[in-house]
Amino acid sequence: MAAYGEVSWFCCGSAWGPCGSTGHGACGTCNSGSRQHAWPNASDACFSITRPDRCGESITRRTCGFLHYTTNRCNGVRVATRIADCGPQTDLFCGERVCCGSVCGTNRIIDLTPSAYSVIASLSTGLRPAMVTV
Amino acid sequence: MTHPIDRRRLLTAAVLGGAGVVGATAFGSLAPEAAFAADDLTAQAGLADPNFAEGRITGITGGVLAVTGSDNVLHRIRVTDATSIWKLRPTTLDRVAVGDGLYARGARLGDGTLAADAVWVNIVNLHAHIRAIGRNVLSLDHRGQPIVAHVVPGVTAASYNGTPAVADLSLLRVGRHVQVLGAWHPDSNEIDIATVYAAAN
Repeated sequence: MAAYGEVSWFCCGSAWGPCGSTGHGACGTCNSGSRQHAWPNASDACFSITRPDRCGESITRRTCGFLHYTTNRCNGVRVATRIADCGPQTDLFCGERVCCGSVCGTNRIIDLTPSAYSVIASLSTGLRPAMVTV
Repeated sequence: MTHPIDRRRLLTAAVLGGAGVVGATAFGSLAPEAAFAADDLTAQAGLADPNFAEGRITGITGGVLAVTGSDNVLHRIRVTDATSIWKLRPTTLDRVAVGDGLYARGARLGDGTLAADAVWVNIVNLHAHIRAIGRNVLSLDHRGQPIVAHVVPGVTAASYNGTPAVADLSLLRVGRHVQVLGAWHPDSNEIDIATVYAAAN
């Protein structure tokens, strides 16, 4: 079953600049240069922070290492990644919508590492409508 | 029957061609959105991506960037006429400097050099709370660390709850959560803002 929403990117692991204060994520394996992602329901503790349910999103519990495919709905390109962190904090952006033309996504459901996001979109786009499948 | 363009061969040809860099337009755009469409799922999910690099620039010789990764891995990144470069805005290699941070995507050549499709210089994508709003500056709290985020006239835009980005930042409020896409000032806690995404709540 596919989930529709928004995808963004985040840095983790060894990093320069403001990213230098980030660690290796909730799973302890996250690195910006690896094809990984953050998932908002990776554990009870994670879900209590991200609270996608407050935005009406039903996000299935999936834990560290789980494989997802994320498709950029602007260009149809997809990337395969594994869960390495908890996020995004969906409830902070409830109702947010991003579009490219008539294709839109609402609510943040997944964050990719720079390595993964740059497969499907330019990092300078910041946010894209996406479909997530297993 | 048409054949897909072999991206690695194209970039290799571009690199080896030196001054006679193969024109991307002969094959279609090599802008990021198009370039990424040529990638696939060959790299194993969860593992380090061989066609991606990050780190700080330690030297620039001709079109080659010497980069030290944050994990201390050394990279050579070849920039060609077909490489798209972003540093707050689309730009050119002469605007890139030693000390800058970067992310780069491309094709790894036989000698280990990364022939870059795209290079994003000093790009950051921060989640933060607004601590204060000044004239052409936002004071942010990012993971407990203060960040000074500069508004760049003509560049900085705001997207309010997913609306198309506009230059008007007047709807930003202290205490609100934001995502800020921008360019870091090396060795400082300051950034220039490209786009600030503000939540409605």
